[in-house]
Amino acid sequence: MPHYIGVILDESRLAQIKGTPLEEKVQDLFGGQLKMLVVEVPEDKAQQILKAFDRARIDSRGFLEDLPVAFKRALFEEIAKAKSLDVIDKVLERLPEIQEAAKKEDEYIPPPEIE
Amino acid sequence: MGKLRMPPPHGGELVYRVIEKKDYAESMAAGAIEFELKATTDPKGVPIRHVYREIVSVCYGFFSPVEGSMTQNELESVLNERRLESGWVFPYPILLDVSDEDLKALDVKEGDRLLLKLKGQPFAVMDVEEIYKIDPKDVATRTFGTPEKNPEVVRQPFDEKHPGWMIYRCMNPNVIAGKWTIINPPKFREPYDRFWLPPAECRTVIKHVKKWRTCIAHQTRNVPHTGHEMLMKCAAYTGDIEPCHGILVNAIIGAKRRGDYPNEAILEGHEAVNKYGYIKPSRHMVTFTLWDMRYGNPIESLLHGIIRQNMGCTHHMFGRDHAAVGEYYDKYATQILWSEGIPSFGFEAPPNEVDKGLKIIPQNMAEFWYCPVCGEIAYSENCGHVDKKQKFSGSFLRGMVAEGVMPPKVVMRPEVYKAIVKWWKVFGYPFVNNRYLENLNKNLEIDLEPMEIPKA
Repeated sequence: MPHYIGVILDESRLAQIKGTPLEEKVQDLFGGQLKMLVVEVPEDKAQQILKAFDRARIDSRGFLEDLPVAFKRALFEEIAKAKSLDVIDKVLERLPEIQEAAKKEDEYIPPPEIE
Repeated sequence: MGKLRMPPPHGGELVYRVIEKKDYAESMAAGAIEFELKATTDPKGVPIRHVYREIVSVCYGFFSPVEGSMTQNELESVLNERRLESGWVFPYPILLDVSDEDLKALDVKEGDRLLLKLKGQPFAVMDVEEIYKIDPKDVATRTFGTPEKNPEVVRQPFDEKHPGWMIYRCMNPNVIAGKWTIINPPKFREPYDRFWLPPAECRTVIKHVKKWRTCIAHQTRNVPHTGHEMLMKCAAYTGDIEPCHGILVNAIIGAKRRGDYPNEAILEGHEAVNKYGYIKPSRHMVTFTLWDMRYGNPIESLLHGIIRQNMGCTHHMFGRDHAAVGEYYDKYATQILWSEGIPSFGFEAPPNEVDKGLKIIPQNMAEFWYCPVCGEIAYSENCGHVDKKQKFSGSFLRGMVAEGVMPPKVVMRPEVYKAIVKWWKVFGYPFVNNRYLENLNKNLEIDLEPMEIPKA
């Protein structure tokens, strides 16, 4: 059974995929207030991800959630590079590097600058 | 249906075991054997529970009619029947557990008086009724049930990944039983002090200040997204001849699992809902109960019902996956309990229909999602566009928050998000992590005034 990972697109990410075939795959959420790409993850790869990150889980929608920010960033980088959503193998190749970055996230994540 | 009135406290009378008069408090503690309360830690040394929270909740009456650490017969009664020895429904073991080394050093026996200290200061006293041994793993497993013994709702065996099971599993093997009395009332620190409303006061505020005849409780361990807000608003349409007059948000405050939001952000996030008018403050009030969440789904819902009945609520809303983590229980276990009962847990009928059961009325709610066709947040039992639904997912929102993306206001109110960021800046992290738990364990939610106890 496939699972999914949602990649949220802010303005900067939307700009990076502008003019590519990915634009057609952007999904509108919550009345268009949020844009997202959805990456399909086969069961065996989903299990590999769950094993790599102890807090990761599959939510009631079948989405892999509670993934480290480093994982989500790497996933988008690979998507933007390949201009495709078929990048999960590429991301898994970077797993040791992502796990190393994720360890630091247990201690500190910089807060956003908002009023 | 006629007009409803505030139900009596569970067990008939509200427990209040707090001594305000300093002289009397000091005389109660004089000559008592001193014991500094300690946190329960997991095998990695991370604090996952502090018994002081149970002492506060018992002594201020949140857990009425429980009055202290349970005797062995009471513990067995709770584990076997979910009833106290008096017959009143109660779901969880409440225990003061101590290590073999501490027990030996204490040299305490039945009939002795213990002075329980916290942060180095006198905090509470207890008269020792019984000292007995437990097998913590056995208590943990019997507390939450097993697929074999509780096939109606338990779907997989409890293990080290379940934070509530771990709390009992990591307890010490000796229990000191007896009634607790607080002799040095806690001073809650910011921001907890704004939300501290123990049952006796809460009942007074509901009745005479807010003038709510009916009031529905909302359990939370989360900052509210708009799905929670809609749950509150819609569940409150129940009542009697008119919708409930008030919504009492009662947050569970204590050690939480990593990845949950900090307690401070939870309280101020809910406060933002009324402060910025999404639900009028005259109709919405935020409070908390000290308790290290056990994530026990139907079992936890019984405690929630008891706490909120004691606080004066007429109704309690229960959603899907109530107080749950993982897939140990059926997603609807709490609603099964409150609609038909769970015989293997001692409920042939719902807990508000059994002898010495609860008087609070359950309001079982299904789901809310965003429907792009309706163009609004929809109730799952109303909306016919099921294939178009966009579900609210707490973990999806957490991912968005961690990435530094401000959630759209249709999902989370901007003022709620700002409460998250406020405390993110304080802790350097938006969620509970080990450092947060260690700091929480060091500072706790309270301070105690210095108190000199005369020697015997």
